[in-house]
Amino acid sequence: MSTEDPPELAVKAVGVSKTFLIPHETRNTLREHFLHPLQRTTYELNPALVDVSFSIERGEFFGIIGPNGGGKSTLLKILAGIYRPDSGFVRVSGALSPFIELGVGFNPELSARDNIRINGTLLGLSQRDLEARFHDIVAFAELERFVDQKLKNYSSGMHVRLAYSIAIQVPFDVLLLDEVLAVGDQSFQEKCFGTFDRMQGESKTVVLVSHDLGTVARYCDRALLLRNGAVHTIGTPQEVIDAYLEQEDALSPVRRD
Amino acid sequence: MSAVRPSALARPDTHRRIAYQVRVVRVLAGSAFKLKYADSALGYVWSLAKPLALFSILYVVFGLLIRFSTFENFALYLLLGIVLYTFFADATATTMTSVVERGSLIRKLAFPLLIIPVSATVTAAITFAVNVVAVVAFVAWNRIVPRADWLLLFPLLAEFYLFVLGISLILATLYVRFRDVGQIWELAVQLLFYITPVLYPLQLMPEWGQRIVLLNPLGQMIQDARAVVLYSSDVITIPTVWTSPVMRLVPFAVVVLTFFAGLILFKRNQPWFAERA
Repeated sequence: MSTEDPPELAVKAVGVSKTFLIPHETRNTLREHFLHPLQRTTYELNPALVDVSFSIERGEFFGIIGPNGGGKSTLLKILAGIYRPDSGFVRVSGALSPFIELGVGFNPELSARDNIRINGTLLGLSQRDLEARFHDIVAFAELERFVDQKLKNYSSGMHVRLAYSIAIQVPFDVLLLDEVLAVGDQSFQEKCFGTFDRMQGESKTVVLVSHDLGTVARYCDRALLLRNGAVHTIGTPQEVIDAYLEQEDALSPVRRD
Repeated sequence: MSAVRPSALARPDTHRRIAYQVRVVRVLAGSAFKLKYADSALGYVWSLAKPLALFSILYVVFGLLIRFSTFENFALYLLLGIVLYTFFADATATTMTSVVERGSLIRKLAFPLLIIPVSATVTAAITFAVNVVAVVAFVAWNRIVPRADWLLLFPLLAEFYLFVLGISLILATLYVRFRDVGQIWELAVQLLFYITPVLYPLQLMPEWGQRIVLLNPLGQMIQDARAVVLYSSDVITIPTVWTSPVMRLVPFAVVVLTFFAGLILFKRNQPWFAERA
C-alpha cells in the first residue's frame, strides 16, 4: 500500500504507543498518601497500544477489528484527540468528527428536544443549523411523536436512532464510529447503511470500529486487526477477517471466561 | 496548549472556535440550571428562596435581636454580603466537582475542557443574577435612588468573577486527583464565612483585624460593593485602614494571581483528565 501522494491521506498514524499505569491500589484520597508516604504506589503497566502505524486515504472506509481489550477504543480516542499518545503522532487532514460514541452529552432527565440541542451543539452545529435541521433529525429518527418526552423514557433503540440522526447532520470529512449499529432494529440498520452509501458517494472517510464482521466486509475498503495493542494485519477486509477468525479459532480451546 | 488536537472543533479560525465555545458554554450552563430544579414544584423559586431564607434568619438574629448594627441600612448591608458570598460558595462548590461529573463526556468527545468549569461557574452566575433581582427589589423598596457611581459595581463584579473562576479551576483540577478536596473545601467555605465580613459590621473588630480582613479579596470586594450601594461612611473599606498604596493593591494582586494560577494548573493537567476523571 504505497502512499505516493501524501495530500490524499486523510489519517496518518506513526508509531503510536500508549501505556496506562494501573495502580495496584488506587489512592484517591490524601489520607492514603499521608498514611503511607514512604510506600510507593506500585503500578502495573498496561500497554494498550504498541507502535501502531497506518494510514487511511481520503474517501476510504477503514475498519478496525480485534478482540476485547485489543486496543481498539484507545486507538479511536487517540485519533479523536481525547487521549494523548505517549509516543508517535497522528495527523488528520480535513474536519474530523470529535466524538467516538453517539449521543455524547445526552441527559436522561431532559426531553429529546433539549438533548438534540445539547448534543448537536457539542458536535459543532450552530443555533441556525439546528433549527434548519431539527425536522430532518426527528424525521430520520422516526421520533416525531416523542420529541417532548424525557430521554429516560426512551428505549435503547430510540436512543440510538436519535443519536445517529444528529451525528449524520454534522459536516465532517473524517468520521470516527465505535460500535454504532449494535442497537436498532433491522429497518433502522438498513437506513444507517443507506447513509453509509451516501457517505461513500461523497467520498467521506470513515473509521469504523466494529465487532460486526459482516458490516466490515460489506462497507470497508480496508481493515486493521489490532491484537494486544499491536497491528496484527492490515489489508482487505477479507484478509483481515480471516486472520481474526483463524486466531480466534486457535485461541478458543484454551480461552477462559 | 495541547500538542495534537486534530479535531474539527479545534482547527478552524479563532472566530469560529470562540463562537463554538460560547455556544457550548451556553447550552451546558443552561441545561445544568434547568436540571437543578427539574421535578421540583417551585423550580427556579428555590434559587431565590434559599439565600433569602438565610438572610431572614440572620437579620432577625443579628439585626433585630442582638443588634449588631448601628447604621440604618443594616438589612441591605447584610443582604449584599449574603448574595455575594452565596455566589462564591455555590460557584466554587459546584465547579469543583464539574470535571469529574462530566467524566463520561470528556472520555467521548474532544473539545476544549476549559468549557466545563467555565459553564459550571456560569450556571452559578445565573442563580446569582436571580438573586440580584431580589437586591434590586429591596433597593427600590427602601427608596434608595441609584447613583452614577453604581457603575463601579461592574468592574467589581468582574473582579469577583475572576476570583471565583480562579479558585474553581484550582479546586476542579485538584479534585480529579484528591477527592478529599471536597471535604476540605466544605469546611473552608464555612470558615471563610466568618473571616469575611458577611454578617457583622467591620467596626466590631479591632483595627488590626480590619486590616487583615480587608486584604482578603472577598472582604475587600464585599465591603467595596456595600460602600458603593449604601454610600455610607459607616462601611469600612480598604483605603480607610491601609494608607500605603502597595497594601491597597494586595487584594487585586491576589485575585489576578489566583486566576492565572488556576488557569495554568488546569491547562497543565487537562491532557490527563480523560484518563483520570
